[in-house]
Amino acid sequence: MNDLRGVTDLDRLIHEPARLLIVTILTPVESADFLFLQRETGLTKGNLSAHLSKLEEAGYVKIEKTFKGKLPLTICRLTTAGKKALIQYRQQLQDFMDKTA
Amino acid sequence: MQSNFMEVEQRVKRYWFKDGLGELVGGGMILLIGFYFAGQEWLPEGSMGRTLLQSSLALLIIGGALATRWLVNVMKARLTYPRTGYVEYQAGAKNTSSRRLLTGGIAMSVSALLVVFGRFFGSFNWLPGFTGLVFGVTFILLRARANGVSRFYVLGTFCIILGMALSFTSLPMGYSLGLFYGLTGIVSMFSGGITLLRYLRENPLPIETDNE
Repeated sequence: MNDLRGVTDLDRLIHEPARLLIVTILTPVESADFLFLQRETGLTKGNLSAHLSKLEEAGYVKIEKTFKGKLPLTICRLTTAGKKALIQYRQQLQDFMDKTA
Repeated sequence: MQSNFMEVEQRVKRYWFKDGLGELVGGGMILLIGFYFAGQEWLPEGSMGRTLLQSSLALLIIGGALATRWLVNVMKARLTYPRTGYVEYQAGAKNTSSRRLLTGGIAMSVSALLVVFGRFFGSFNWLPGFTGLVFGVTFILLRARANGVSRFYVLGTFCIILGMALSFTSLPMGYSLGLFYGLTGIVSMFSGGITLLRYLRENPLPIETDNE
């Protein structure tokens, strides 16, 4: 039973499904814009914005607001801390599943 | 669970091929190489044109690769990014200068081996078959299998069959290679064109183009 307690140590910020999806999408790329993230996650603009803000506050995602012509462009990239957090989360989850299998 | 993560990551990697622009522009480049080989065969031996053409292969390949990359990026910026978003891919830790040197070294060694092989057997008729095999394996392993883009299985198989078939014809080498590159380029452009049309139909420009 004690072995299973590790699951309570899961990073809750990443554990939330929408944020987990955002972080997973950003893993294999250098950066992606807001439109791409919105289409891939299926979230509304407001919802995606809120999740990105939380990830940015935690230092997991870096957000740059630039312009493409006259249109604002939001570029998101996963930070080193974000990458480490996702790797750790996946490992913890895998350990938990191995123990409960 | 791990497979779910991998599926999402693969879907993101697959996004590069979603619009077919790479095949469309790359196919045009392959078609040009086809014209190069056919032109070399067609021009009389010892003529100025043939000599010029023979010395321009490296320029055609390097210049063509750079032009293809530039054109794909320009077209993606105009057609793809406003519709489905912008993604910048990682250069990859594997893409180091030593690795590029190694790739160049292997390519040169293989070319030298091919020449030795040809001289030994007294014929280069098998060259289209070998080229088809290289193209086919590249399409199938590096595009279809690694990125999960199934249309590259068809393109890869087409290259292998076409290369093998041309190896059994009695066409002069230049025409045989010209046909291989030309037909591969046309099929690639056709595949890319169909993919692009489908992509544009399925992804109209958002009315509100403001990105967040």
